[in-house]
Amino acid sequence: MRSYWIRRAIGAAAVLLLVIAANFFLFRIMPGDVVSSIVDPRFSPEAKERMREVFGLDQPLLRQFVIYVRRMLTFDFGISFLSQRPIWDELRSRVPNTIALLGSALLISSALGTWLGVQAARKRGGITEKVVLISGSISFSFPSFFVQLVLLLFLAYTLPVFPLRGSVSIPVPQGAIDRMLDYIWHLLLPAGSLVLLGFGSWAIYVRNLMVKTLGEDFILLARAKGFSESRVLWNHAFRSALPPILTIFLLALPGIVSGAVITETVFSLHGVGKYLLDSIMGHDYPAAGAAFYILGLLTIISNLAADAAYAIADPRIKVGRRAGM
Amino acid sequence: MIKIPRWSFITFFLILVIAVFAPMGLSRSPQETVAKPFAPPAWTGGDAPPPFSAVLSPSQGIVVLDWEWEAPENISIKGELVFEGYSVSKLVWTTPDGRTFTLASFQGSGKWPLDLDGRDITFKTALGIPPLANALPLLFPSRGEHRVSIEGDIPSGGSLNLTLPGGKWGLMGTDQRGRDVLALFIMGIRVSLLVGISATLLASFFGLSIGLTSGYLGGVVDSLVMRTVDVLLSIPVLPILMVIVGIWGKGLWQLVIILGLFSWMGTARTVRSLALSLRESCYVENLRSIGASPWYILYRHLLPEAMPVLLATISLGVPGAILAEAGLSFLGLSDPRVISWGRMLHEAHGFGAFTAGAWWLIIPPGIGISIICLVFLDMGRSIEEMADPRLKGSLRQ
Repeated sequence: MRSYWIRRAIGAAAVLLLVIAANFFLFRIMPGDVVSSIVDPRFSPEAKERMREVFGLDQPLLRQFVIYVRRMLTFDFGISFLSQRPIWDELRSRVPNTIALLGSALLISSALGTWLGVQAARKRGGITEKVVLISGSISFSFPSFFVQLVLLLFLAYTLPVFPLRGSVSIPVPQGAIDRMLDYIWHLLLPAGSLVLLGFGSWAIYVRNLMVKTLGEDFILLARAKGFSESRVLWNHAFRSALPPILTIFLLALPGIVSGAVITETVFSLHGVGKYLLDSIMGHDYPAAGAAFYILGLLTIISNLAADAAYAIADPRIKVGRRAGM
Repeated sequence: MIKIPRWSFITFFLILVIAVFAPMGLSRSPQETVAKPFAPPAWTGGDAPPPFSAVLSPSQGIVVLDWEWEAPENISIKGELVFEGYSVSKLVWTTPDGRTFTLASFQGSGKWPLDLDGRDITFKTALGIPPLANALPLLFPSRGEHRVSIEGDIPSGGSLNLTLPGGKWGLMGTDQRGRDVLALFIMGIRVSLLVGISATLLASFFGLSIGLTSGYLGGVVDSLVMRTVDVLLSIPVLPILMVIVGIWGKGLWQLVIILGLFSWMGTARTVRSLALSLRESCYVENLRSIGASPWYILYRHLLPEAMPVLLATISLGVPGAILAEAGLSFLGLSDPRVISWGRMLHEAHGFGAFTAGAWWLIIPPGIGISIICLVFLDMGRSIEEMADPRLKGSLRQ
């Protein structure tokens, strides 16, 4: 158990370090003066010199990197070129929106996908299985933004059921409940489209695993013992298929974060991904680096959460044997 | 018996032919304005004028326009008339209610070049209206017969082209700049194929070299490479790509290289596991025992062995690269001069296709991307089946 967690923690730290290093070096290999990637080029020479000292740009590269890592870990991202405000202040209001989008989309699509996959495996050749197979091939080949644009066109413009853009209405409605409902109303289409695109491939994967598991001898044994069909299905078959399902959850995570960036752009949500794009478009390098770092951090944290779930689901970890992956 | 190839191979061949030859068949540059902005496709219903064009020449000195619609978006008269000797001539517009406007007049001899555009200030002042007013309602006050004629001395040569942009256009309508969406769509195939295939080839080259080396050498190199793959696979790629494109530039070839650098991991894994199993096989052991160098074994024996698998991975990897390119272009991180399907969707999203209800700007590029991806997926699967016939049953179950 302990060695598992040590391995996972080292893995997470390695990814974090890579993200920070990528941030550090990417913005330093760009053409031109290093200062221009950290300090607004419109600053006066004196101010630039001052910034050089503050950011330690006159020091050796390794020392700079250590300073950089410390600043990243304390969320001290500097000042945005575009808004002239501390970047963390701007990001802080956006992080919950991104988490809400990612979290709801992930939870709903994995729950729906798992349930459909299990149903499809139980009744081979039924309608559920056909739905699963078709929705799976759609989610593999249709670009997410295309599906979202079509949804936006028909469900927000032609039939104005959903809002066109943004995370909240302007003006913001009064009262906590109204504000909450307004927020959910704005989230429904973006999160719903992510679910629509995500559950299919998920369901196919679960179905394939379950079909394989249901053909094994211990299922036959469970049936022979006279357990009810749902108990065989969920307590025996699904339980033993759970660890690989969580593995695929892990593998799918980065792609879902990438999808959230595009989704936020399509629906103009007030999120980290949209901030990343706006910063890149506006050549606001410190802000772009910070947004990238936050997205990386979100991925790492969800990774660790999935690892925790894996540790619970796979009994081999508890007894200290290496999991078969 | 002749085996008919899978549908995807035929479709791929057709797409390739269209991508190579169709742009040559376009009569005008896809960047050219052909009709009013956001004109719907011609086959849709609705009351909108079709595009109109006519020629005025010495023999045909008058054009009669039976106009049954609202005033068009614009009018343009371009060309050159030639007069022999001293002549006085003018171009006259007559509305259904009998009012006449002198659009331009000529005095002298020789060539009379004309380039009139309804939006030009000189054109408006010639009509006697303020520079910011719209000239078209004045020229098209009501439905009925409108006339353009050359009056005065008859020219001896040359011709004038009169064009009115239509309210509908072609198979797929027009975009926010009045460009033909069908032409843009055809041009977009090239970018998708070019970026998709070359980025995947590059990625496969990296993946092959890294996978073969890592699998064959084993040990520290192998575990180092595999840890790197694990780490790279657990970072969201799109934000990295966005940052790199933002810093490095939005060119097409830069995009290919960046995509290649960030999509070799899957191939490396597959090739590595193959190399790992081959390394233990008897014939490689025999080769080693007769003194073959690792290099020789890798490139003379393991590489050909890995080829079918590699071909399938390439084909299965192309959709990923195409989707990544389209995604980046959709976000606006592509060369604005290069027409691609992602770029078309970006412009549709950013320049008000929604408020215009212009679904014809969104459906064609999206369907195009999906079809190309499906074609490559199916080709990849059938190559996989050819390489390993055991897969046939399991995929079709």
